[in-house]
Amino acid sequence: MKPSDQGPFSRQSFLGPHSQEYIEQCVVGIAGLGGGGSHIVQQLAHLGFLKFVLFDPDGIEESNLNRLVGATARDVVDKTLKIDIARRMILSIRPQAEVLAFSEPWQARPEFLRRCDLVFGCVDGLDQRRQLEATTRRYLIPLIDIGMDVYEGTPPSVSGQVILSMPGHPCMSCMSFLNDDDLTREAEAYGAAGSRPQVVWPNGFLASAAVGIAVDLVTDWSQSLRGPVYLSYRGNLGMLTQDPFLQHAPKHCSHFDVANVGPPRFRPM
Amino acid sequence: MIIHLRIPEGVYLQALADLQRPHPFAFERVGFFSSVLASMGGDQQLVLLNGYHAVPDDHYDDDPEYGAVIGSEAIRTTMQRVLDESRGQFHVHLHHHAGLPRPSRTDRSSLPRIIKSLRTVGPKEASGYMILSDDRAWAEVSLPGSSGPLLAARIAVAGFPLRFLK
Repeated sequence: MKPSDQGPFSRQSFLGPHSQEYIEQCVVGIAGLGGGGSHIVQQLAHLGFLKFVLFDPDGIEESNLNRLVGATARDVVDKTLKIDIARRMILSIRPQAEVLAFSEPWQARPEFLRRCDLVFGCVDGLDQRRQLEATTRRYLIPLIDIGMDVYEGTPPSVSGQVILSMPGHPCMSCMSFLNDDDLTREAEAYGAAGSRPQVVWPNGFLASAAVGIAVDLVTDWSQSLRGPVYLSYRGNLGMLTQDPFLQHAPKHCSHFDVANVGPPRFRPM
Repeated sequence: MIIHLRIPEGVYLQALADLQRPHPFAFERVGFFSSVLASMGGDQQLVLLNGYHAVPDDHYDDDPEYGAVIGSEAIRTTMQRVLDESRGQFHVHLHHHAGLPRPSRTDRSSLPRIIKSLRTVGPKEASGYMILSDDRAWAEVSLPGSSGPLLAARIAVAGFPLRFLK
């Protein structure tokens, strides 16, 4: 038996001889610990990630129990914070993990988001995505965004996306995922949207794809991830495919210039 | 104080490509990164290296005793950049080997003087010097208000893949 065939991570040794070292030193941020974020936290802990920065202002409600991985009926009674459920999940798998958790929106503690080498965006709505991407770009942090929606119809249509937005490369606006029309529609419907349908399996599907991208980004095990990712989820068919908009995205992002990073500030004219 | 450095892949590769080019008479090349400072909360600071500036061939002095000696015009140009852009500057050069690089005796004696000049014109910026190797990096950073240079704890490259140089 080779040395790499032993030890707690022997079954993922194909990720490379230094993969566990890279995984353990990578600081991962997760904005939003609901249906998607809870899956991601669990998988990252199993993989051996040890440094987490978590953001979610909400406590669990009964309607979350259909999809929030790690949550229990007792948590609903206790109104446990989602960050505490995530922290409990991580530490139950990796007791040595360092977990910084904030029961606030990430915008309330942006300086701690900057500690992250990689951020998962599991936020609701397009405007929240736009804000998170703008901030991660300013601090040169790769962002992996996931989200799902259910559209009315007969039958209903389940869809979603997984996007890797890398500083210096096409952003979510370049990929046409974020656009003025949709942002305007969302702003006009603000407050009238009600609760949106969410179920556990598409979240798990999208979260698994996102974690796979993260592992490849950190370990380079496939030696093939060399550009941004935009995957579209067609839930009714159980398919995740490359979105055609990625092919038509400009090579160079005109929305976020690498020259304009860091905290916004005035420059002398 | 814990200092993190983060570089976008494009800037990192641009620097590596430039520093590996042969010079007409110098044994090695040097360049400068532009830097932006940001708080990471608590005692952690983030320095973003978001631009690379090659030193033109004619800004080197011909001194066979050293790998590379840059002249006053190179320093003046870099100091002017601090003033024009309100950015810090990091001197960077390459040691051709794998593994963690360390500053040589010459680096230790000459580079702090360059950083002192840059701090004079940009006391509110983070400046310093970085040594790249084939796969790792080492850096010393002078922060606004700090009494002396501090060692960078982590140096990461944001790209495909993510690279942790230190």
